[in-house]
Amino acid sequence: MASPPTLDAIPGPLADGDAAPGPDVIIATRDLWKIYPMGSEQVAALRGVNIAIRRNEYVAIMGPSGSGKSTLMNVIGCLDTPTRGQYWLNQHLVSQLDDDELAHIRNHEIGFVFQTFNLLARATAQHNVELPLVYAGASAPERTQRALEALRKVDLYDRRLHRPNELSGGQRQRVAIARALINNPSILLADEPTGNLDSTTSNEIMQLLDRLWQQGNTILLVTHEADIAESAHRVIHIRDGQVARDEPTRRGRQAQGG
Amino acid sequence: MALREAIAVAFDTLWSHKLRSFLTLLGIIISIWTLVAVVALVQGVNGYVAVKIARLGSNVISIEQYSLQEMTDQKLFRAAQLRNRPLSLREFRFLRAHDRLAAQVAATSSRTIGTLLKAGAHSMTDVRVTGATSNVIDLASFDVLAGRFLSSTDDRHDASVAFIGADVARQLFPGIDPIGQTLTVDGHNCLVIGQASPQGNVFGQSQDSFVDIPLGLYRALYGAQDSLSVQVQAPSAALLPALAGQTRMLMRNIRHLRYQDADNFGIIGADSLMSLWHQLTGIIASVMVGVSFVFLVVGGIVIMNIMLAAVTERTREVGIRKALGARRRDILSQFLVESAVLSSVGGVLGILLAYAFTRVAAALTPLPFTLPWLAVAAAFAISTAVGLFFGIYPAQKAARLEPIAALRAET
Repeated sequence: MASPPTLDAIPGPLADGDAAPGPDVIIATRDLWKIYPMGSEQVAALRGVNIAIRRNEYVAIMGPSGSGKSTLMNVIGCLDTPTRGQYWLNQHLVSQLDDDELAHIRNHEIGFVFQTFNLLARATAQHNVELPLVYAGASAPERTQRALEALRKVDLYDRRLHRPNELSGGQRQRVAIARALINNPSILLADEPTGNLDSTTSNEIMQLLDRLWQQGNTILLVTHEADIAESAHRVIHIRDGQVARDEPTRRGRQAQGG
Repeated sequence: MALREAIAVAFDTLWSHKLRSFLTLLGIIISIWTLVAVVALVQGVNGYVAVKIARLGSNVISIEQYSLQEMTDQKLFRAAQLRNRPLSLREFRFLRAHDRLAAQVAATSSRTIGTLLKAGAHSMTDVRVTGATSNVIDLASFDVLAGRFLSSTDDRHDASVAFIGADVARQLFPGIDPIGQTLTVDGHNCLVIGQASPQGNVFGQSQDSFVDIPLGLYRALYGAQDSLSVQVQAPSAALLPALAGQTRMLMRNIRHLRYQDADNFGIIGADSLMSLWHQLTGIIASVMVGVSFVFLVVGGIVIMNIMLAAVTERTREVGIRKALGARRRDILSQFLVESAVLSSVGGVLGILLAYAFTRVAAALTPLPFTLPWLAVAAAFAISTAVGLFFGIYPAQKAARLEPIAALRAET
């Protein structure tokens, strides 16, 4: 495992301004600002964030509430656009895209896992997993086949016809993870994935994420729990809209060392 | 692909809120129901009337004091009242003598209101009393059940004889043979010489409540100022237009009308009756169609309202879909499809109700009711269009939701 890249580690062109980073870098932000108008005042939630995440890294973002962690998460997840600065996702400069282009990026490049699962209540597990494929324009047989495959990977094939209210919290989150992975995204974005789960189930989900990382997925975990963040190999601490610290975890150091 | 997803979601939503959907759709259901039922009704009645009018007498035209246009248009009628004279006996005789194309020339004059018939202890009021020439029987639609119709001898002598309809026979001579009995028509005693076979009702009006007496007798009883109605029969349908032309020229001739003068009489044929009828039912139909369109707009607004509520309820769903890659147009079409499905389901229910209505009406009335397929297709298209139109605003609202705001929504 290479040492966590910093802005300097990103190949030349990014430092110059506009050119995309190398193919190895999945996420790169440069001087990212997000400013919200609050009445007559302007509140900056992000104040020049620079981060870079390579392919197949397992990174946690930590920070207290109000730190700008959620805003960063939304911008990285293409749910929100930065006010200033540049953001490359898998070599696409996404900071300038319009709504529909962002939708396309979310569909193809990002797999979301939310604290509250965000499954469609009236749809079966299988249909929930298929949903990204619907918007990717996949045919019905292909959707079914890939959804069942994804459900098998999270050991929920037997539960494919159950609706979310017939599933336990851990099962729901596994459905959400299967859904997040169905389009082979560049990055899996997990926002407090264990926030609504008991500790046993939390462990299961964290083990699943670990397995997915081992299979080659890039994972970005947002959490405020230190022990959850310890599962990752690198932690980016956000404070007052800026990167306060960016360091490997004990596990990351072990991986480096061994 | 996303369209099929949208349709599936639409039916799922409809089904999971059955009562709410039904109440929402009531306006659409009623409007489509009335729309289709009215068209079916008008078509059925038109078909029925066409048959009845055709049966009034084949190849017959009638010369009257007023034309149909004059009778149905107040302004024309007021002008015609000053200009048109009643048809006189002299004019009838002139037509009979000179209308060479005609197979028959008959004259009638009749009144209904205020007439009084008596026979023994029984009496009837407001019976249609007609003074007729004896050849009217050749033009009429009724058959002689018993006895005989007026004869040319009765004509010549203005005999005190009466030919009666089935209702008159039943009410004035219950249980006895009316032939040979005495009937008092507004104080004048007549001998009943014949009885017509029953003809039934048209729009609840009995066609059997009548007494025919010789024209001369009628004019003696009620005065000579009532206009005659002269019926002229052509030997064949092909000759009817020529006969109409000739009759019109003869009438203008005897009335000394100059070239630039308008007719001061009216000629009525089966076709002009039919067109008058269409004009009347057309008015009824357009009023009902107008009313159903008002319902339709109300129904559309209700749908818009429920769709706005649905967008609010499902803000989070919209957020999830957007996070997973739904574009604005995917969300837009999802909600548009939903409101279109909702209202076209209402349309289908309305059409089914209209169908049931026509079946019941066809079973209970003699009217030949059928479901007009063109109206059904139009009703379905209209109901879908209403859903699409009134769904635009709610769907746009949903499509414009910000994904983060939608995901944070409390539901």
